[in-house]
Amino acid sequence: MLNLSSFVQKAQQLLDPTQGLNLSDPDRNPSKASLFQSQFRLPSSQHPLYEITAELTIPPANATQGDKDRDTGFRYAGKLHISESYLCFSTTGSSFLQSASTTTSSIFTGQTHGGGPSGNGFTLPLCSIRRVERLHSQNFQFALAITTWNGIGQDDKGKEKKDQKEQRITLQLAAPRVTCERFCDGLKKGLRAGVGNVGKLKKVVSECYSEYLLRPEDKKNATPPDAGLGMMFRYPGDPKKLRDRAKMRLWAEYLRDNGRNVTLLRQPTFHKLIRVGLPNRLRGEMWELTSGSIYLRLENPTLYADTLAKFSGQESLAIDEIEKDLNRSLPEYPGFQSEEGIGRLRRVLTAYSWVNPDVGYCQAMNIVVAALLIYMSEAQAFFLLSALCDRLVPGYYSTTMYGTLLDQKVFESLVERTMPILWDHLVKSDVQLSVVSLPWFLSLYVNSMPLVFAFRVLDVFFVEGPKVLFQVGLAILRINGEELLDATDDGAFISVLKSYFVRLDESAHPKSENPKLRAVTRFQELMVVAFKEFSGITHSSITELRLKNKDSVLNNIENFAKRTAIRNLGPDSKLLSTEELGALYDRFYGVLYERQQRDLIIKQEQARRAKSSRSRIADMASSHDQAVEKGRVGLGPSTSLMDYDAFREFLASMSKWAISDSPATPRRETFSDADKGFYGSLTKRPDAILSPWGAGPEPADHEFLRRLFVKWDVSSSAALTLQNVVSGLARIKGKRDIMGTINYFFELHDDNGDGKVDREGILRMSEALLFLSRRGLEGTLSPANSTLTLSTMGDGSQNDVSGQTVNERFLGSVSAFIRRCFEYADPDHPNNQPAATQRAKVGAEPTEDQLASPDAFAIGDDDDEDDLLAMDSPPGSPKAAKRAAAPTSQHAPSVGRDSLSTATSADPKDRRRVSKAHSERANIALDPSNPLHITLPTFRMVVLADELLEQFFESSFPSSFHIIEGLSSSSATPSSSLTTFSSLGLGAGRAVGAALGGAPGAPAGGRGLRGVLDNIVTDGMRVAQEVVRRMEEAQKELERNALPGQRNEEDEEEDEEDPITPGAGKSAAYRGDAERRSVRSSDRDLLMGADAEASDVALGATGTGRPSVGPEGSNGNTSGGTGKVVGVEFEG
Amino acid sequence: MADSAGAPRPSSSVKLVLLGEAAVGKSSLVLRFVNNDFQENKEPTIGAAFLTQKCNLPQRTIKFEIWDTAGQERFASLAPMYYRNAQAALVVYDLTKPTSLIKAKHWVAELQRQASPGIVIALVGNKLDLTSDNAGTNGEGEAAGGDEDARKVSTEEAKTYAEEEGLLFFETSAKTGYNVTEVFTAIANAIPETSLKSARGPGAAGAAGRSEEQRVNLNGPRDPNAKEGCAC
Repeated sequence: MLNLSSFVQKAQQLLDPTQGLNLSDPDRNPSKASLFQSQFRLPSSQHPLYEITAELTIPPANATQGDKDRDTGFRYAGKLHISESYLCFSTTGSSFLQSASTTTSSIFTGQTHGGGPSGNGFTLPLCSIRRVERLHSQNFQFALAITTWNGIGQDDKGKEKKDQKEQRITLQLAAPRVTCERFCDGLKKGLRAGVGNVGKLKKVVSECYSEYLLRPEDKKNATPPDAGLGMMFRYPGDPKKLRDRAKMRLWAEYLRDNGRNVTLLRQPTFHKLIRVGLPNRLRGEMWELTSGSIYLRLENPTLYADTLAKFSGQESLAIDEIEKDLNRSLPEYPGFQSEEGIGRLRRVLTAYSWVNPDVGYCQAMNIVVAALLIYMSEAQAFFLLSALCDRLVPGYYSTTMYGTLLDQKVFESLVERTMPILWDHLVKSDVQLSVVSLPWFLSLYVNSMPLVFAFRVLDVFFVEGPKVLFQVGLAILRINGEELLDATDDGAFISVLKSYFVRLDESAHPKSENPKLRAVTRFQELMVVAFKEFSGITHSSITELRLKNKDSVLNNIENFAKRTAIRNLGPDSKLLSTEELGALYDRFYGVLYERQQRDLIIKQEQARRAKSSRSRIADMASSHDQAVEKGRVGLGPSTSLMDYDAFREFLASMSKWAISDSPATPRRETFSDADKGFYGSLTKRPDAILSPWGAGPEPADHEFLRRLFVKWDVSSSAALTLQNVVSGLARIKGKRDIMGTINYFFELHDDNGDGKVDREGILRMSEALLFLSRRGLEGTLSPANSTLTLSTMGDGSQNDVSGQTVNERFLGSVSAFIRRCFEYADPDHPNNQPAATQRAKVGAEPTEDQLASPDAFAIGDDDDEDDLLAMDSPPGSPKAAKRAAAPTSQHAPSVGRDSLSTATSADPKDRRRVSKAHSERANIALDPSNPLHITLPTFRMVVLADELLEQFFESSFPSSFHIIEGLSSSSATPSSSLTTFSSLGLGAGRAVGAALGGAPGAPAGGRGLRGVLDNIVTDGMRVAQEVVRRMEEAQKELERNALPGQRNEEDEEEDEEDPITPGAGKSAAYRGDAERRSVRSSDRDLLMGADAEASDVALGATGTGRPSVGPEGSNGNTSGGTGKVVGVEFEG
Repeated sequence: MADSAGAPRPSSSVKLVLLGEAAVGKSSLVLRFVNNDFQENKEPTIGAAFLTQKCNLPQRTIKFEIWDTAGQERFASLAPMYYRNAQAALVVYDLTKPTSLIKAKHWVAELQRQASPGIVIALVGNKLDLTSDNAGTNGEGEAAGGDEDARKVSTEEAKTYAEEEGLLFFETSAKTGYNVTEVFTAIANAIPETSLKSARGPGAAGAAGRSEEQRVNLNGPRDPNAKEGCAC
C-alpha cells in the first residue's frame, strides 16, 4: 500500500533540494548560497560570487581625520565576500564551501564568536559604497580603502561638513595577484550595478532612527523617523529603570564610530550592547538590521505600500481572521487601544497575508507584529515579519504549524538531554511540556513574559537566531526546576511558570548579603543561565534535532490531516469504505507530491545544466531558493489541487485501463505538456525518475479520462480536489448499483446535459467502452468461458468463435452496442422520421442502416487518422473525399460487406472508387443533416440487452478502480497485451504493423479497418488508407464546426507528431494519442465486426485473416509493445 | 484520600477541553463560567488557555481544569495535545452559523475516535442571544418554532444529531449567561464516578500516578481508590 512517507523518503534520496525550511536534507548539506545568506542575513537573491581572505582595518575611534593612526585601528582577519549586491566581511572562516555542513556553519550562528550576522565584520550593500581606492601596501599585494555613504540620510546641506567624518575602512587582500584582480573586477562590476540603487538606499536609510540620532543638535528640528508606536504612546517599561538614556548614549557613540544602519561595522562592543538591551528608539532599527529584514526592505522599499495599494478593498479569509484579533493584540498597551495602533496592525498583517498567502494569517502573528510595531514603522514591521516567517521561525505560522510542533519536539529533546531529572518527572506526571512551552515559541515570549523582558529576548533573538528561544526556554525550566518537580499536573506546572514570569523584575537573590548580587534581577539571571549555561545549544544542535524529529512530526500532522480530511469529505464519501478513503487520500497526495518532487528535480537538473553551460549564475542560483519538500501535506499548503495530468497519473496508479499502451521509452517527450522544455531536456537522461511520469507507468490520455476529469471537476476550475475525486469515485464505485453506473456513464457523455447523446456521443461511448476494456475486464463476469489471460490471446484468436475469451466477446458486445444504439436512436429531426421507423421495423436484421452505422462510426473517428493517411495518399484525393462527403443517404448494400468483397481487388483505384461509393451509400446514421440521438432509457436498454455489457457496468467497471491495492507492477506493465480489435488482429496485424512501422507518419495505433483490408489484399494498406481517409476527410469536413475545441487540440497534437518522428518512439502526447487512435481503429474494426455478425458473410469472405473473431481487425498498434507482440505472434 | 476524610464533599478534578470553530464563543463560555463575565476583546488563545473552576454538586465537588483551545483552523493539529486524557469535552458551535455545526461534528468524530474512551461530550450551540427564542421560555432542547431570526441551525437538527451520537446538548448564550452553568453542571453529573479521582491538593500524595490511574479508570468501574475517594 502506498504510504506518503515512503514517497518522501524515496524522493529525499533522489533529491538534494537546497535551503528552504531548515528541514530537509540540505540542512545536512546546505548549499553554499543558503549558508551565505543565513550568515549575513541576506535576501535569497544573493549568492556568494567571490571570496577572498582579507584583513579589515577599522580606524580607531575619533581618529578619522588623519591618516597617521591607520595602523593602530582595529584589525580583523577574515573573509571578504561579494554577492550580487553586497560586500560582506566576516572574521569567521568561510562556511559555505561545497562540502560545508551545518556543523561548520553553526559557528556563525553560535554565540558571539560568530553570533548572528557573522560575528565581527560588515554587510555592506554595494550601493552604500561611495568610493573604493587602491592603496599601496607593503604586506599585501592589494589594499582597498572603502569609503561608504555612511550618513547618506542627512540633508545635503550638511554634507561638506560631514565629509570630514566620512566612514573609511581598509581591506587588505591576502591572495595571489590573479585572485585579487578577479575579486576587484567582481567588485567593480557590482559597484557599477549598485549605483542605480543609491536612491533606494537613501529612502530606506531615511526611515532609520540612527540618521536622526546622529544628526547634529542644530539640525534636529526635523521630525524624527517613525520609531514605532512607542513614540506616540510611550514605550513599555520605565525608561529610567531601563536606563534608556545611557544606552542611547552608548549606541550613539558606537554608531558614530562604526557606521549606522546599513554601513554599520560589527565589532565586539556591538554584541555586548545588544545583550544589555537596546534603547527604545533604536530597537526597531537594530532588529531589522540584525535580522536582515532591512536588506529585504532595501531590495524593494515600496513593496509594503504597493501591496496595500494593490489589494486595497479586497477581502480574504485571512482578513476576516485578522479582523477578529485586532482588538485583542497586546490590549494592555495603550497604542493598541487606539485606532492608530490597530490600523497599523491591520495593515501590516493584511499586507503580509497578501504577499504570503500560504501562511496568510496565524494567531500569534498578531501579538508578534503588535510587539514589533511598538518599536518600528509599519514597513519595517512588514519586512521583519517576512524575515521571521521565512527564515527565523520557518513553519511556525504555516497552516499546519509544523515548525511550531517540530520545535516543541526539539525543545523536549533538549530538556530531556539537559535536565533529565525534570524530564523524568514530566514523563511520570504526564505533564506535556509543549502545553506550556508552545506559546513561548509561537509568540516569541511576547505574551508570556512582561513586555520589557520579552523585548530583551527579542533583541538577542534577532541577532543570534532561533536557538535563543530554546536557550531561554531551557533556562526558564532550569531556574524553576525545584518548583516544577513539585508540580504534578499541567495546571500546577503552568501556574509555577506564570508566577515566575510575573516576578522577573524582582531580585534573583533577595536574601543575599552581597548588594551587587541582590541587584541582579531574575531576568538577568535568566539571561545568564540561558547564554552561559546553555551556550552549548547552538544552531547546529537544533538543526540536528530538527532533522531527527522532522519525520515523526510531519507524520503526525499528516495523520491528523488525513483523518480530518477523510472525515470532512462529505456525504458522498460514506459510499466508500474508510480503507478506500484512506488509500484514495494517500494516492491523491502521493501523486501530487511526487509530481512536485519531479518538477523540482527537473528544475534542479535545469539549474545544473545552466550552471554547467556557464549561463548566468544568478539564474541558476535562483532555483535553489524554493527547493523545499513542496507538496508534503505536513508542510502546509502546497497544492491540494490535481490538474489533468496529475489526474491521469492518479488513475494510472489504480486502473489498468488508464495506463498508456505505449511502453515507456527514454525518448518519450511530452510536448503536450506546458513545461515541455523541462521534460524535453530531461528525457535525455535515462534515469526513470526523471521521466515526466516518474517511475510509474505512463498514463493514457483518452477522451474518456478527459470526460471523467471534467465531470468530477464540479467547480470547473480545471483542477480536482480530494473531495471531487472522492465524490466522483463514490458515484462509480460506491453504490455498486448497475443503474447508477449506467446513468453515470451516460451522463458522462451527455455534453449539454439534455438527456440526449448524439451520434458523436454514441461513438464516443463505444470508444470509451473499448478503451476501458482493452486490458481485459475485471470483476465478476459471466460464468461462461474461461477468463483467458490476455497473454494467450494469440491462441485465443486462433480459435473459432465459440472459444472466445470474455474479453474478446466483449468486443462483440461493444459492436452490438453501437449497432443497437443506432438502431434505436431517436431522430432529432422530423425528416429523419421515416428512416427511423424503418430502422425500428427492420430490427436486428443487417439492414443498410445498421451496416452503415459502423461506417458512421469509422467516419466519426477523429480526423487525426485522416491526417496521417493523407500524407501517404496521392495528392488530389482530398477533393474526392469531400465530394464523397456529400450525404447521399441512399440505402445501399452493406458497406462492410461491400468493402470486404471489393477488397479482393488490390487496385488502389478500385478502392478509391469503392470508398466513394461507400460514402455515398452512407445512410441516415451518417447524415449530419439527419441528426439523431439516444436517450438514457434507450442507452440503458441497449446495455441491458447484452449480458456482458450489463456485467461490465455492474461489476467490471466499478472494480477496475483498484483504490486500495493499486496495480501490481505486472499488471501495470505498459506492454501487457491489450484486448482490442486491433490486438486480436491476426496476420493482418503483423502485416499492417510491419508495413506501418516502416511508413513515415503512420506508426500510431491500430488501423483496424485497414488491417482487415490488408488481410484480404496484399497491398491492402493503401486501399484501406484510401477508404478511411476519404471517409474521414468527409467526416472531418462535417465535423469541423461541430466540436471546434476538441478538434483543434487534436490537430495540434497531430501537427507535432506528424512528419518528424518515424517509428515507435514518440512524444508522450503522441503516445497518448496513439492510445486513442488504437481505440479508434478498433472502433473501425467494429464496423467489420458488426458487419460480420450481422451478415455471416464476413468470416467466410475473409478466410484465414480473421479466424476467430469477426470484429477484430488487425491493426497496427505498432507504436506500442503490444503491436509488436502481436505482430510476432502472428508472424507467418 | 486525605481530602475524603475531612472535606464535606469529595472533590475531584476533571479535565475538560473546549473545541470548536473560531469565534463561536468558546473562550466566552469559559469566561462566563469561570468569572461570570463577558468580554468583547480578549487576547486570542495561543495554543490553549488553561483555567480552573469548581462546580459544586450535591454529592461532590468537581474541579474543572479547562483547556480552552484556539479556534483557528490551523491550530487544529495541536488539538490532540490538549484533548489528551480529557474526561470531558465541550464542542461548541455558533447557532447562527451552520458551518460551525459541521466543524463541531468533525470535532465530535475526532474525539470519539481519538480521545480517551468514555469521554463525556457536550454539544453546545452558543449565541442564543442572537436568536428570537432567547427569551428564556424554553429550557434545554425544545424545538424552536419560529426561526426567522439570526438562527441558522435549528434546535431540532442539532438535538437529533446529539442524540444519535450520545452527546449532551445545550443551547447557550455566553453573553447573557443563559444555560452556561447548566452545561458544566450537566457534564459534572455525567462524568462517571469511577473515572474521578480525588483532587490533587498541594499535598496530594501519589498524584504522580494520576494519569495512569485515570486511564485505567476510564475503562472500567473497578478502581478501589476512586471508590474510596468518593465514599463519603
